[in-house]
Amino acid sequence: MPVCASTDNLNLMRTTLVFLLLTVFPVFCQSLKVARHTLSNGMTVLIHEDHDLPNVALYFFYKIGSRNERPGTTGLSHFFEHMMFNGAKKYGPKQFDVVMEKNGGANNAYTSEDVTVYTDWFAKAATELIFDMEADRIRDLAFDPKVIESERGVVYSERRLRTDNSNFGALYEQVNAAAFTAHPYGWPVVGWPSDIEGWTMADLKEHFRMGYAPNNCVMVVSGDITEATALKLAKQYMEPIPRQEPPPPVRTVEPEQRGERRVSIVKAAQAPIWMAMYHTVRSTDASYWSLEALARVLGAGRSSRLHQRLVERDQLALSVSARTGESLDPGAFIISAQLRPGVDAGAAEKAIDEELALLTKNGVKDREIEKARNQIRAELYRDLSTIAGKANQLGTWEVFHGGHEKLSEAETMLGGLTPVQVRDAAAKYLQARNRTVGVLVPEKKEAAQ
Amino acid sequence: MRMVAFALVLAAASPAQVALPPFSKRTLPNGVTLILSPKRDVPLLSLRAIALGGDEADPPGMTGLAEVLQDLLRRGTTTLTAEQFAEELDVLGAAWQGRVNWQAFTLGIDCLSAESAKAVELLAGAALRPAFAEAEFKKALAQRTDSVKAVKDQPERAMMNYFPKFAFGPSHPYGRVADEASLGGITRDAVVKQHQRLFGGRNLVVIAAGDFDERALGAALEKAFGAAPAGTRYEWMKDPGLPRRKGPRLLLIDKPDATQTYFFIAQDGISRTDPDRVPLQIVNTLFGGRFTSLLNDALRVSSGLTYGAQNRLPRDRMRSVNYIATFTKSETTVEAIDLALKVLDGFVKNGIDAAGLESAKNYIKGMYPTQTLETHGQIATVLGDLAVFDLNRGEVDDLFSSIDAVTVERANAAIRKHYRGDRLQLVLLGPAAKIREQVKKYASEMRVVSINDTGFPVPEF
Repeated sequence: MPVCASTDNLNLMRTTLVFLLLTVFPVFCQSLKVARHTLSNGMTVLIHEDHDLPNVALYFFYKIGSRNERPGTTGLSHFFEHMMFNGAKKYGPKQFDVVMEKNGGANNAYTSEDVTVYTDWFAKAATELIFDMEADRIRDLAFDPKVIESERGVVYSERRLRTDNSNFGALYEQVNAAAFTAHPYGWPVVGWPSDIEGWTMADLKEHFRMGYAPNNCVMVVSGDITEATALKLAKQYMEPIPRQEPPPPVRTVEPEQRGERRVSIVKAAQAPIWMAMYHTVRSTDASYWSLEALARVLGAGRSSRLHQRLVERDQLALSVSARTGESLDPGAFIISAQLRPGVDAGAAEKAIDEELALLTKNGVKDREIEKARNQIRAELYRDLSTIAGKANQLGTWEVFHGGHEKLSEAETMLGGLTPVQVRDAAAKYLQARNRTVGVLVPEKKEAAQ
Repeated sequence: MRMVAFALVLAAASPAQVALPPFSKRTLPNGVTLILSPKRDVPLLSLRAIALGGDEADPPGMTGLAEVLQDLLRRGTTTLTAEQFAEELDVLGAAWQGRVNWQAFTLGIDCLSAESAKAVELLAGAALRPAFAEAEFKKALAQRTDSVKAVKDQPERAMMNYFPKFAFGPSHPYGRVADEASLGGITRDAVVKQHQRLFGGRNLVVIAAGDFDERALGAALEKAFGAAPAGTRYEWMKDPGLPRRKGPRLLLIDKPDATQTYFFIAQDGISRTDPDRVPLQIVNTLFGGRFTSLLNDALRVSSGLTYGAQNRLPRDRMRSVNYIATFTKSETTVEAIDLALKVLDGFVKNGIDAAGLESAKNYIKGMYPTQTLETHGQIATVLGDLAVFDLNRGEVDDLFSSIDAVTVERANAAIRKHYRGDRLQLVLLGPAAKIREQVKKYASEMRVVSINDTGFPVPEF
């Protein structure tokens, strides 16, 4: 790990929390030396050296997700994420995993509305092998009909696990679909059941051609490797992959919401769930970090406003959360509460609305902003303590926050947050007319049986 | 996400041997074991206070007491209300680590190194001077009781409540599961007494791992935790052994609205200190411990029956059970169980070969460093694990040589001993009306319970 400064020296200087955070944190972020290169085929390469352990993390951020799909092919990006592990020209079916695990490596991947990210962690000695395997599947992925059918079953199983048999997942899907009426963020990343059953080979090939262009990818290398070696391998294995047309721009803009929407699900359940989704901004917007801070004021930790009100004081909920997240197009702020069995969702909604009204009327305290800043800093800091976490953060900042360089400005940005900004963000976005409320209503037990 | 079961591990190199970072260990006059492992890199700190006993120590009729106690430890001290405690913790941006398992309570704070003084104060306050205010006790108990009901909305978690009762039986400590009835028997007085019994100096292990000044933080921890009454060390219960089963049994938990069936297939497992633990870890990696394992390959990769299949190998102080865990759409319940049993049968009959053994060894050694020794929190966890199970640092320092020493013969002997394929114990959660008749064939004895019945009733059979 890079050492940002001598701890002894810092200890001599540190007198208050604020002073500490204003000094140590930016030093650490700025000490993350990152080299940026662009290959001739347009692939962005970020390299960070960390020689603490003999390991390397290699992340690929493809800027394609469910927002690039269309009705009939929803969930295709996520399905494709699975297909990328099912064989290519040089490394056939199963070989990507078999060879990687045999060499002491592991991998995973995730898909969101905006990106599909592939993650490899491996021994330094396996570095060239991993580059070879990654280049193979990016360039020459196989499309075996039998494998496609088998993987379709796996993805449907994942949907059953996370959505159909999850009360929270089932409610979220419906709230999200009601909140976004025009923009592709309205369909589920995993896809609608009929689309999962209906994808064709042609859909897959077109998606691959569109999304997996090297010029649509940010590759991040973090770990025990020199910049020169990483660049050499990138040029050797990634640069020959031809540039292609990236996905067409997403033209649809979600129209302004002009009134509250409500959905409900009646489902076998022991306890109700309440949820609200508010339209907000993309993560490069000036309000984004005010909304991140607002999420913490409302829902991070047991001292947060909604936890204190719903869980501790009124005892209506077992847990409550408030969150927002990175997005390329204007996204959402979500408040959700797992209510206690038998609790009236209307009572929980009233309590939440009262808390939101109090916040916009009386504002946010300085100490709450200090707390939110510290929570954001600490989360980021913990992420940056592993090579995998660093690779993920660098890629995320590159794709969603206007460049990895912005990471070193995080402290300045956090330091500039004010109570007024956070209050104003709440007043502007957390309005009833801008939200979709969802309630999961437990079905009567007699009916369930 | 591509994977659930195998996603949370990071790979690393396969060096000849890894080693636990240096640490010091001393016993304070009141019996507290203090372990310090300074590592100068990122300015973060992980503090842990561990009390031996955990769930195992719950008094008869009060199953769930440990969990209520654990929650109450962060609900106010003699100098801070619950809200003040939460506020002081949150303003640091600190992450609270609180959990209880069969053998221990763990309280912890992960924070910036510069906040060590405040973190020590908060941790010691929680561990040694909890207020146990009546109102907080009532709230914690009510929430815990509601959580026990709400867990049934998450099928996988619900399985984990029925399964121990079924697998270990009523006379084994691990067969006790908190429900509305057992929680109803817990009193504030019982919580106070349990705290006095388990949070004395002789029963506490305090650990600091991270970027700190050893002398200064050591003195602060010594002052804070040295104030605890010595108390007595918890006396471990005798392991009663796993119940002897005459043949296969099946418990079906009926959830009529479920569109898939979740199932566990269990057999006798091992304890944390079993002499076979290293060879078993290797062979279980091949059977059901990684993405390319036999189970995941058959049930996911080759057939598309499930999103993931694995064989879990719990390692607790007493001998536990190991079990296949997966799920499939209800229509393919029998197909998936048949296939899982076929894979198990093939594994028992055929064992593993040299190439498989080599692959598993590389995988485990590749995973281990970043999975176990990369962050301060991981190092604190390892140090705590060694203390709780009374193991020495050879557990880490000699691990790779122990792995290297496992031969094909030794590995196959472990398979023959620990994976039998007879007297299997099956638990299914799914729509009984659809699958009841089809799954009868797996066991001579089968019982069906409704998930809507209060608690987690498991009939004796």
